[in-house]
Amino acid sequence: MGMKCDVENCDNEATVHLTEIREGKKHEMHLCERCAAEKGLPGKAHFSISDLLAGIASQAQAQAQKGRRGKEAVCPACGTSLSQFQSSGRFGCAECYTAFKDDVMGLAEKIHDSSQHVGKAPKRVSSDVSLQKEIRQLQVELKRAIRREDYEKAAAMRDQIKHLEENLKAGPPEMPQPAEDKPGETPAGPGGHAKKPEGGEKK
Amino acid sequence: MTLNEMITSSGEWLRGTGPESEIVISSRARLARNITGLHFITKMEPSERATCEEMIQRRILEAKIAQPGFYIPLHKADPMDRKFLVERHLISKEHEDSQHPRGVYIGGNEAVAIMVNEEDHIRLQVMQSGFQLQEAWRLCNQIDDELEERLDYAFSPQLGYLTACPTNVGTGLRVSVMLHLPALVLTRHIEKVFQAVSKINLAVRGLYGEGTEASGHFYQISNQVTLGRNENEIVQNVEHVIPTIARYEHNARQTLLAKDRKRLEDRVWRAYGMLKYAQLLPSDEAMMLLSAVRMGVHLGLLKDLSLRAVNELFIFIQPAHLQKLTGRALEPVDRDVRRAEYVRTKLGQCKQ
Repeated sequence: MGMKCDVENCDNEATVHLTEIREGKKHEMHLCERCAAEKGLPGKAHFSISDLLAGIASQAQAQAQKGRRGKEAVCPACGTSLSQFQSSGRFGCAECYTAFKDDVMGLAEKIHDSSQHVGKAPKRVSSDVSLQKEIRQLQVELKRAIRREDYEKAAAMRDQIKHLEENLKAGPPEMPQPAEDKPGETPAGPGGHAKKPEGGEKK
Repeated sequence: MTLNEMITSSGEWLRGTGPESEIVISSRARLARNITGLHFITKMEPSERATCEEMIQRRILEAKIAQPGFYIPLHKADPMDRKFLVERHLISKEHEDSQHPRGVYIGGNEAVAIMVNEEDHIRLQVMQSGFQLQEAWRLCNQIDDELEERLDYAFSPQLGYLTACPTNVGTGLRVSVMLHLPALVLTRHIEKVFQAVSKINLAVRGLYGEGTEASGHFYQISNQVTLGRNENEIVQNVEHVIPTIARYEHNARQTLLAKDRKRLEDRVWRAYGMLKYAQLLPSDEAMMLLSAVRMGVHLGLLKDLSLRAVNELFIFIQPAHLQKLTGRALEPVDRDVRRAEYVRTKLGQCKQ
C-alpha cells in the first residue's frame, strides 16, 4: 500500500504530500488527512515563512535593546510591531513595507531572491515608475561623475535629478484619475481614507 | 445564475477539455491586490471591513467585467454554501472560516472568482479547463486592468503590489496547474517530479488536502517567487515544466499497460465495480477509486464514460455538494450512503 503518515504513532496512509523549498533545499512531508488538518495544511502557500521570520525576530529584539527605553520598531501608520509581524507573517498596512524597510528588503531577498519589482504597474503609477527608474539611473551616473571628479557634469546631473524628483512629487499632469473626478467616486471611498497618507490621525 | 443553480451545473474549468486534459485538470492564475490608504484586513476595525467590502463589491459590479456574474456576501451566507464554494475551488478555506464582512464575485461560468476581504482586499482568480495557463493569465490581467480603473491599488515602484504577506509581494501573481498523476504514484516515480520542479523554485501540493476529506492523486504545481520576475516569466516558468510532467505520466501509464496490463485492468475494473455497487462510500475511498477510473477512461479501458463525468464526480461527492443535492445536513455515515447512491446513479446513467 501507500506511504504512511509522518506523524509519530499515526498509522494512517499519507494522502497529503507537501514539498517545500526552503533556501534551495527540498523538504517533504507526508501526512494523513487528519494530521494534515491538525497542522492546518496544506491550504495556503505558507512556505516556512516562520523560519525566515525567526531571523527577523532576533533582529527585532536586538533593535529593541539598542533603541531608547527598549522601544521596538512600530509602523507609524497602523501600529504593527516587528514582533507582531514575526508571529503572524502579515503586515498591517502598506506603510509597514516602508516602516520596516531594511527587514523587508532582506526578507524579499530570501523569499524571492530579489528586492526589485519588474512586472506590471497600475497605469496611474507606471509613468512614475519610469521617472523613478530614470532617477535611479541618473544617481548611478552622478556617483560615477563624482568619482571621475567631473564636477561640471555632476552638477548638471544633480539639477536634472532635482527636476525629475519635483515632477514625481507633483504627479503626472497628463494622468487624470477618472474615478476621482466625479463626486462620490473616490476610489477608496470608505471613511474618506482614500488619499490620506496612513498615519498621524489614526490610532 | 445563483448559488443554488450551481448545484445542478458544473464550472467551466471542470469541462475535461483543453490541451492535455487527460492529465491536466485545470490552470489557474491568481492576483493579490490591496486598496491604497486602507489598512490590510487584519488591522481593520469591523466597521472598516464592512465599508471596504461594500465599496469593493460596488466597484466590481460597476466595472461590468466581460464575464457576467453575481456577488455573494459570504458573512450573510449559509455555512453550507461557504463549504460548497470551497469544494468548488471558488473561495479558500480561510475565506470560508473567517468571521468578518467578506464576499466573492463569481463570473464567466465559474471561470472567474474575485474574493473580497480575504487575506488581501482583493484576490482575483481565473480558472481554465486543461493546460491553458497563458489564457488564464490573459483573462486575469484583463480583469485586473478593468478593476484598476475603479480602484486605487497599493503599489511601490520598488516592491510592486503590496500584499499582507511578503510571500506575495511584487506581481501578487500565483499561477498553478492541477495535475492528475496516478501512474506516477503507482510506479513510484512521483519523487522525480518533485525533484524536477523543486530545482526551479516551484511548489508541489496535494490538492484535496485543503482541510477535510480525500485525495485522489491530484497535485498542484505553482510558483513561489512573485518578485523580481515579470508576470510572463512567472507564467512561463510554471508552464515550461508541465509538458515534461505530463509526458512522464503518459509514459508511466503506457509502461503499466505494456508490462502489467492485467493488473492495471483489474485495478480499473475493480474500482469501477466498487463504485457501481458499493452501498457505503467514504470520501477517501471514493476519491481513490475515481482516480483509477479516471485513468481507465483515458487509457480506453472504460468506454462510454467521459472525463467530464468523472471530473464532476470528484467534486460532487464532496460533503457540502452531497448535502446541498440532498437538500439538508447529513451525518457522516448518511453522507457515505448518499455518496454511494449518487455515484451508482451517475454511473448507471452512462451505459457500460
